Amino acid sequence: MKARHLSIIARKEFRGLFNERTILLAILLQLFIALFSSFLMVGLTSMYDPSSLSKYSRFRYNVAYAGNDSPVLDYLTTSRDFRVYPMNLSEGVAALKERKLSAVIWVPDTPPDAEEPVKITLFTLQNDLQSAIVDVKLKDIFLKYEADLREVRAGRLHDEPVPLAIPKATGGGDFYEFVYGLLIPLLVFMPAIIASALVIDLLTEEYQHETLETLISTPVTFTEIVWGKVLACELMVPVQACAWILLLMINGIAIENAALILVQVSVTSFVLVLLGTLTALHYRERTAAQFIFSTALVIVMLLGLALPDNPFNLLTRLAIGTAGMEQWVVLGGTCLIILVLGCATHLYAGRIGKSRHSG
Amino acid sequence: MSTIRDILTIARWEVKKSFSVMGRNVLPLAIVLFVLLVLVTGFTTQSGLHLQDGMYDVGVDDPALAGLIAGDPRFSVFQISAVSPEWRGNTFDLIIINGEVFYRGTEKSKSALKTLERNYGKYVNSVYNAEEDLFAAYPLWIDVQPQKSELDFLATQSGQSIAAAPGRQAPVPEGPVVGIPTPSPTLAFTRDELRQELTKTSSANPQISRYTEILTTDNAMGNFKTPSQMSPPLPFDSIILIFVFIFPLYFTSQFFMMSIMNERIERKGEILLSMPVKAGSIILGKMLPYFLGMLAICTGLTFWISAPFIIILPLIPVIFFFLANALIIGMLSRSFKELSFISIFFSTVATSYLFFPSIFANVHVISFISPLTLIVLSLQGTAWTATDYLYSTSLFWLTGAVIFYIAAKNFREERLFSEKNLVARMREFLSEVLSRKRPFLSLFLLTGFSIPFIFMVQMMCLVLFFNLPMPYSLVLLLLFAALVEEIAKGIGIYTIYARDASFFTWKNVVYACAATAIGFLAGEKLLLFVTLAQITESVFGSILFLSLGVLWMPLLLHFAGVLIVTASLKLGGRGWFAPGLALAMVVHCLYNLYFILGWLS
Repeated sequence: MKARHLSIIARKEFRGLFNERTILLAILLQLFIALFSSFLMVGLTSMYDPSSLSKYSRFRYNVAYAGNDSPVLDYLTTSRDFRVYPMNLSEGVAALKERKLSAVIWVPDTPPDAEEPVKITLFTLQNDLQSAIVDVKLKDIFLKYEADLREVRAGRLHDEPVPLAIPKATGGGDFYEFVYGLLIPLLVFMPAIIASALVIDLLTEEYQHETLETLISTPVTFTEIVWGKVLACELMVPVQACAWILLLMINGIAIENAALILVQVSVTSFVLVLLGTLTALHYRERTAAQFIFSTALVIVMLLGLALPDNPFNLLTRLAIGTAGMEQWVVLGGTCLIILVLGCATHLYAGRIGKSRHSG
Repeated sequence: MSTIRDILTIARWEVKKSFSVMGRNVLPLAIVLFVLLVLVTGFTTQSGLHLQDGMYDVGVDDPALAGLIAGDPRFSVFQISAVSPEWRGNTFDLIIINGEVFYRGTEKSKSALKTLERNYGKYVNSVYNAEEDLFAAYPLWIDVQPQKSELDFLATQSGQSIAAAPGRQAPVPEGPVVGIPTPSPTLAFTRDELRQELTKTSSANPQISRYTEILTTDNAMGNFKTPSQMSPPLPFDSIILIFVFIFPLYFTSQFFMMSIMNERIERKGEILLSMPVKAGSIILGKMLPYFLGMLAICTGLTFWISAPFIIILPLIPVIFFFLANALIIGMLSRSFKELSFISIFFSTVATSYLFFPSIFANVHVISFISPLTLIVLSLQGTAWTATDYLYSTSLFWLTGAVIFYIAAKNFREERLFSEKNLVARMREFLSEVLSRKRPFLSLFLLTGFSIPFIFMVQMMCLVLFFNLPMPYSLVLLLLFAALVEEIAKGIGIYTIYARDASFFTWKNVVYACAATAIGFLAGEKLLLFVTLAQITESVFGSILFLSLGVLWMPLLLHFAGVLIVTASLKLGGRGWFAPGLALAMVVHCLYNLYFILGWLS
């Protein structure tokens, strides 16, 4: 194997990618996924925890209170989220349907220490985004009242949970788990998946377009062609991953151990690229190779995620700086797999190359 | 009659060919992989997803609490012995001393605190669930009675605010007051039924349910819940099922795409093209096995999850749309790389278009732009009407049909085997559709039929921007809506210009622009009247489809927009296409702003 031949093949593939501008599509695709997942997360979180978006917090919702007096009325009156009107139930519901109120609450006269539970009836608007937010705010008030009632009925309880006083944090922390525990591993790892699909395309294309004979008739051997293509795909991974990390950092997301993340991603993606190469060498036809490989990829990824200390988890922990010694163990293990797969690829390509030359 | 026979013959060939290629090598391994997939899925549901393990470090003094917290692998728990929290010299995100939690001011620490709070709530619930006196543990139950707002129903759903507080006075209903019977204070369920439900909801696998826990799962008790169970309704289980349906469809359409591509490699398809059969028949014949296969998969899946068979109905336009796109992608791409990237790109965009709106299935009318919402509703047992069906599937039917027409027109030797780049090929494909004899009629029709695509893209933007805070979402929507419309109008003109620049004498420029503008307006009107009444009534709708009002004003706008683009093409050449578009977009935006904000009035 000559390094010069490898670089010739790799450069040929890069040129092809840039000429077709397909690489642009790939980058666009990744941006799109990132955008959409962030949009989705922000949208969902603002729905379930309205206080995370300040635009809802200054709004006061009108609610009607009907039925018997209870601490719920006091909680509602003192709450900054609501304006309460004691009303007749029927009138309240009619006003609710005209959207003059956002909820009507009816409280029965069940005494706090009764055998039976207190059953509050809550009238809200159906299919309404805003009423979803009102629900979340009312939930807080009902939780307070539930705690009161539990206190009253505490004598009837057998087991008390281990007490733990959790302070109320002031804002923030909503998107942390999403950004570090999902978005970063996803974005950083996407180039690896793209690269492994790409190597299959590059190899099967030579077979199906019957351009292989021309290539082999040059001084470049078949093994060199295969490794050149692997090299081209593998090189693209750290470059793209690095771009992602930089982009995230520009957006104010602090990422620790950026270099180690790149190493982890490159090594893990090498496994995938080699798997793709072996599949492509075996089938020499895109439909079959892509089908088998993508199914296998799903299996490998699922299996990986099911194991503790998997490479995806390591990416998360490296990014927030809680990765310990285990990262080197995983790295070593992955390198071993690469060694085995690399040897297999080399031998397999060599055998194919020989049969081609003799044939 | 003979057309049907042709189609069936080609379909039979297609089946035979793909089985002879796939059968020998792929099938055995595919079966092995499938078995492996089932095994691994089982294993993963058992052990959970270990993506977020060890994110937080916690220092705890009490071993009992330490064991409790370590139950969640996101926490690495360390035993400490201290009297007061000490942050220096360690990486703890939380410190727990004497049953009191201390946290740092960092994002990470706050996030850890939130996670701990959620876990502790679950633990408390599990203790209370075992309590003998259930009503001492759960003394409060909420019976939610959703009400339909009859008045101003559309405004409710379009993201407008509930009326501002009217001041100190209680609001007085204007309409008639219907007597509401006093709700009964007793429960409709027995103690055991309630306990069963409580244990069921809390015993879900924490490793999986972590990702779903902010979303409520379906509750057998309906709207009857404890305060801690109150969250907005989200049909998460049903949404997962969607993926079960969409992925096999996507895979199968890939095979069709490859089959089309294979005909083009080394001119293999020449034999097929030389047959005395219409191009449309060839395409339909090649497509038929895949269509039937996808339908069979869907039916099988429906049977498997024992869902109502009506959910096949909204899936058919999705299948049709997927196949149409597979066809055109297979015909357009030059190499395997290009095929891969375009198809992955398409599938991501299409999946998001299908998936994201259905998340809001129970919350917002926007969800109806995706046919999958109908599936979610069916699975929940909610009925939908024929209008709903038309509303959410018409875009898929229309765009699919248009793509098929373009593909059938171009299914010829010189297009299939050409080696030009993607953009040039797209232009050629369009050019084939635009008649040379009747260019104005073609422009009229092309623009008219581009409307469903425009709506799709704009809907996509709507869903995307819907999540943003209000002023930004409106501004972005304004810009994008205008840009998308101007591009759609400009494409036909650009294609003709690229084919024959001398065609555009000033007289022809005016005619072409008029044809395009009228075509746009006609298509928009037609589609709107049929389907999208609900969205058009909302604030967002007023931006997208402002032109519903007076007729001559929007016509003038569309004419002006396309005239700007055409004139810049004629005067500056192809390089001026993009600047022309930008200018037209600005004009379009100003027009929209004038009507929405009433600037000059």
